[in-house]
Amino acid sequence: MGVALRDIIADCKETLDLDALKGVAAIDAHNALYQFLSIIRQPDGTPLMNAEGQVTSHLTGILFRTANFVEKGIKPVYIFDGTPPTFKQETLDQRREVRTRAGNAWKEALAVGDIAEAYKQASASARVDAYVIETAQELLGLLGIPWVQAPSEGEAQAAHMAGKGSVQFAVSQDYDSLLFGSPVLVRNLTVSGRRRVRGRTITVSPERIVLANLLDYLGVSREELIEIALLTGTDYHPGVRGVGAKTALKLVRNGEFESTVAEKLPDFDPASIREFFLAPPVTDDYNLSWSAPDTDGVVAMLSGRFDFSPERVEGALEKLSVKAKQQTLDQWF
Amino acid sequence: MLKATIDAEIFRESIDAIAALVTECRLHTEEDMLVTRAVDTANVAMVSLELKSTAFDAYSATAGELGLDIAKMKNILGMMGRGDALTLNLLDEERKLELAFKGYKYSITLLDASTIRKDPSPPTIELPGKAVISGSALNNAIKAAAVISDKIALGIDPDAMTFYMEAEGDTDHIKLALGEDELVALNPVGARSLFSLDYLKDMGKVMAKADEVEVNLGVDHPVKFAFDIADGNGRVEYLLAPRIEAD
Repeated sequence: MGVALRDIIADCKETLDLDALKGVAAIDAHNALYQFLSIIRQPDGTPLMNAEGQVTSHLTGILFRTANFVEKGIKPVYIFDGTPPTFKQETLDQRREVRTRAGNAWKEALAVGDIAEAYKQASASARVDAYVIETAQELLGLLGIPWVQAPSEGEAQAAHMAGKGSVQFAVSQDYDSLLFGSPVLVRNLTVSGRRRVRGRTITVSPERIVLANLLDYLGVSREELIEIALLTGTDYHPGVRGVGAKTALKLVRNGEFESTVAEKLPDFDPASIREFFLAPPVTDDYNLSWSAPDTDGVVAMLSGRFDFSPERVEGALEKLSVKAKQQTLDQWF
Repeated sequence: MLKATIDAEIFRESIDAIAALVTECRLHTEEDMLVTRAVDTANVAMVSLELKSTAFDAYSATAGELGLDIAKMKNILGMMGRGDALTLNLLDEERKLELAFKGYKYSITLLDASTIRKDPSPPTIELPGKAVISGSALNNAIKAAAVISDKIALGIDPDAMTFYMEAEGDTDHIKLALGEDELVALNPVGARSLFSLDYLKDMGKVMAKADEVEVNLGVDHPVKFAFDIADGNGRVEYLLAPRIEAD
């Protein structure tokens, strides 16, 4: 998903340690929640659940990742998607279909006892629904972590905030953030150091891409980078069949974007999507303030309603520098 | 607007006092002083700092607010020595602070102040017990307690006329009681509260340099430490919330 620019971005990725990243990070909430839901599962693909069968994988992810971030000096703000643009409908329909198919394949794999296949299909069936979003927002509120409701795409809002200097970087697995103009994109941050990719467990490190350096390296403008993406395909249009990032880069550099579109995609008008990347709906109505976690509230929610072990919750809260029995200054102000 | 020159050592002292608790803060420039008040991320401790224009060799400023990366400042100031003249110049439009010393010129990008926690309002707490003690004695007591425990009780015994510090480890115990002779001043009102040594250790390092620290205490209340910096041209106050005493 997102946009397939990996081939031309490889040389501009800078791999770094989590310790090297400081400052405010605007996290693409749907992207992060989707990762938590697809990765944090039992070996046969069953997500973490409480006694009532409510999924808790995303809450585990938020709690421990946030604690990790704060401990390392990163201040997270989660950006939630709003209404998607109309031209994303086809992609959304396709994703729904893939999820449904994967859900069925998961059941079949379990029935025949193929555990590896079950995990793979279960991961692909992960769904960020209203329940996931509501409980995620509730937990963030209790942890004292701000979140922002984007009017449209979360990545666009994150890019806007990074451009304004409200945050130091945008966090997402998708390269779309760069098309939306985020000066800095950090990938592999919301996943842990070890991650399963196509059945294998590999170690991933955070990687940083600086938009200005990328454009400089490729010798294109941001508008031209968007043209490259339009040719290779985005969430909003499949692009030209058979054209990958390298070919698209060549075409755009040679000034052949318009003629290629005219020839290969006669029915496609790229103007509205281009405009969407350049000036997406965003809001300045947000308030980034971090507060101390509501320790009792977090324990009541996670241990009380979602069957988390109180010791694990307290361990995470301690990383947020709240020690048991330590009072806060609130009551004296 | 801010344009000022100050002995690097004095400025470092001020930044270190803030850095003991927070990694970033809103620093307010006023016509006759620099002021900040910040709480740590867990809302357990607060630092207030005033640095008067008289602490500077030259000072000119208008009312304003800047978001300062304290951790970065601390590292930069660590390179300077006593007696080095440090010039601060705020470049408003570029949101940068220029630090010049000994031919070096740092240009530090300021943080967006709106992303930093708002200054807490000054708390109104009655802390009737008061002891004044040398900063080095206070820091030594904190270090001694940290050897056996992660928390320390601070109190005043009005009958014995002492200010005392007491720490309980899993198996060990330490108590230090200081009478009037060993204190600069004592207001003998009964007080006792328990505090986390994690916080006190960081504060203690800063307070160790102060000749006198005023300690204000109550019963299961926060503690307030107040002391001068910059030869009396500045003042720092720490406020620390207590821990709950027993299980």
